[in-house]
Amino acid sequence: MKRIRSMIDTAGAEFRRNTEHNRRVVAEFREKQEAARHKRPQRDLDRLSKQGKMRPRERIEKLLDPGTPFLELSSLAANMAYGGESPSASSIVGIGVVSGREVLIRADDPSVKGGAWYPLTAKKIVRALDIAMENRLPVIHLCDSAGGFLPLQAEVFPDRYMAGRIFRNQSILSKMGVKQLSLVFGHCTAGGAYIPGLSDYSVIVRGTGAVFLGGPPLVKAATGEEVTVEELGGADMHTSVSGTCDYPARSEEDAIRIGREIVAQWDQERKWDCQREAPEAPAYDPVELYGIIPDDIKKQFDMREVIARIVDGSRFHEYQPNYGKTLICGYANIWGFKVGILANNGVLFNDSSLKGAHFIELCNQNATPLVFLQNITGYMIGREYERQGITKDGAKMIMAQSCSRVPKFTVMCNGSFGAGNYGMCGRAFDGRFLFSWPNHQIGVMGGDQAAKTLVDVKVSQMKRAGQEPDQAVLDKVYEDTRKAYLEQLSAYYSTSELWDDGILDPVDTRNALGVAISASLNAPLGDSGYGVFRF
Amino acid sequence: MALQLRLKGREHSIEIVARRPELVLRIDGVEHRVAVMPGAVMLDGRAYLFDEGVTGDRHFVRIDGRTFDLEAVDPDLEEEAAAGGLDVIRAPMPGAVVSLAKAEGDQVRRGETVLTIESMKLQTALTAPRDGVIERIVRQEGQTFDKDEAVVLLVPLEEDAREQTS
Repeated sequence: MKRIRSMIDTAGAEFRRNTEHNRRVVAEFREKQEAARHKRPQRDLDRLSKQGKMRPRERIEKLLDPGTPFLELSSLAANMAYGGESPSASSIVGIGVVSGREVLIRADDPSVKGGAWYPLTAKKIVRALDIAMENRLPVIHLCDSAGGFLPLQAEVFPDRYMAGRIFRNQSILSKMGVKQLSLVFGHCTAGGAYIPGLSDYSVIVRGTGAVFLGGPPLVKAATGEEVTVEELGGADMHTSVSGTCDYPARSEEDAIRIGREIVAQWDQERKWDCQREAPEAPAYDPVELYGIIPDDIKKQFDMREVIARIVDGSRFHEYQPNYGKTLICGYANIWGFKVGILANNGVLFNDSSLKGAHFIELCNQNATPLVFLQNITGYMIGREYERQGITKDGAKMIMAQSCSRVPKFTVMCNGSFGAGNYGMCGRAFDGRFLFSWPNHQIGVMGGDQAAKTLVDVKVSQMKRAGQEPDQAVLDKVYEDTRKAYLEQLSAYYSTSELWDDGILDPVDTRNALGVAISASLNAPLGDSGYGVFRF
Repeated sequence: MALQLRLKGREHSIEIVARRPELVLRIDGVEHRVAVMPGAVMLDGRAYLFDEGVTGDRHFVRIDGRTFDLEAVDPDLEEEAAAGGLDVIRAPMPGAVVSLAKAEGDQVRRGETVLTIESMKLQTALTAPRDGVIERIVRQEGQTFDKDEAVVLLVPLEEDAREQTS
């Protein structure tokens, strides 16, 4: 395959300006991520060490095979919710290697409000188990949670995709033959007790681990019975009397050792036979992405330059290079895995939409996973394009994409506005993984457009009411709308609400995709076939 | 089409004349019978020790103890360099001119930004398709255009070449 020839002038003023800008953007992201991972009130940390407990990230570190990669997902979930009280949504989720097996790890975070589940914690755990189902990844739960965060119970407990879904997903995972192990380090109270209860294997730490539907205070209130934690749901009771847990452990380290030994007994899912070659580093340094991503979201850039810094050897077989040029389609390898890439180089026209739909069909026929690189302001609008059937051509692309049998991956590279988000495998389209870059913005329209639209609405309202439009009022509507939009358009809001699987430093995109693609191959291909294409 | 290989700065053309019953290659106009076997190649009945290695775009072959550095010539690149591109900058999408970086009569280098357009909330820099001189700016700042319309013309290639040599 031919190498992409970069046209970027790495010594130019624009490259330097972009680099400075993006290094700032990435530094801000790293700072937020570092705080979400490690910054906790001293009081909470002291309490953990007094109980002889490790911090959740230490537990994960000790569980993983040394020297293997760990892809953390949604590290900034809930960063803009609950006044920042629930860093990473009080939960750590990631894909790593334990005893030589690819697994999904999900850990409660007892350093935040005793590991209580906020609404977004439940959403994050449900998503984690969806990932486990879609990719047939065994799950290791590191349990240490006080249960649902009671002040917000209405948003944690009752609905279809809230806490109950966790236990439903655990059951379905088991039915699918996907293994689960719980390591019980702390309390598993109420619903949380079902996590070890629904796991195939569970290990519980003597002294600190406990599993019960109602803790001692609740029991006393309900029946008057006075009982200690150990008697009610401690390690010895559950491993020798009730059989709710399988193995008692002397300490957290001991629990991790037993857990690793259990995983070492598991058979491994056979990956399907994706085409692959020997991996090759990109010929162009991924760090140069900082100089390519523009310092202003409105500025266009050539997505081939991005592809050149993600794929093996910067090699790319471009499909239909002279047709529908605003959508780049083609084959490449990422960490050796053959993929079909669709990347935006401008607005989607009729021809680019048809090209995209056709290329997706080729990839499905050829069993080639799809990677979408989004930077899209939408499908082209206007009389000419409607007459050419831009709506039905966009619909073809959405149909082909939605019904794909191959795994799909999406990276939000710069902007995602309007229906372009749909054709390019936005969150609603069940891609296996979706990552965002920290500069990315997403929304039904840009902040300026929304503000202008609402000002127009206000003017006609005032005119109808017989008032002279007041410029001061209009300016305020404009500014307020723009500001509110800007906040909600940001990648931080997106990731806070779990509209993605996490923000990536652009330089890490290749590695993250490598881990994600490898994980996806554990599940067999989906069913072939599409719905009715409107021709 | 003949495969072009570059060896020590010189280009060589290699064409497959026949595959059966034996491989016959025309190398720089002369036909040779070739057979490949493990660790050696036969060329017109004579055996040579042979090994090869590839790193990136570089291809090394070792023949009878001597190492050669071979490079495949990319016909697309050669063509592009020879033809030098077009005389016209066309709009890739309908929109309006936001700013002009060059004026009529200015010299431009290939890949240099000539103007910036905006369409569907997106600003795109349009670049010179080749080295040359701006003859005419068809659409000025603020003016709109349709897809594929010519927005800037370069001085035609022959005149341009004459101008630059004179």
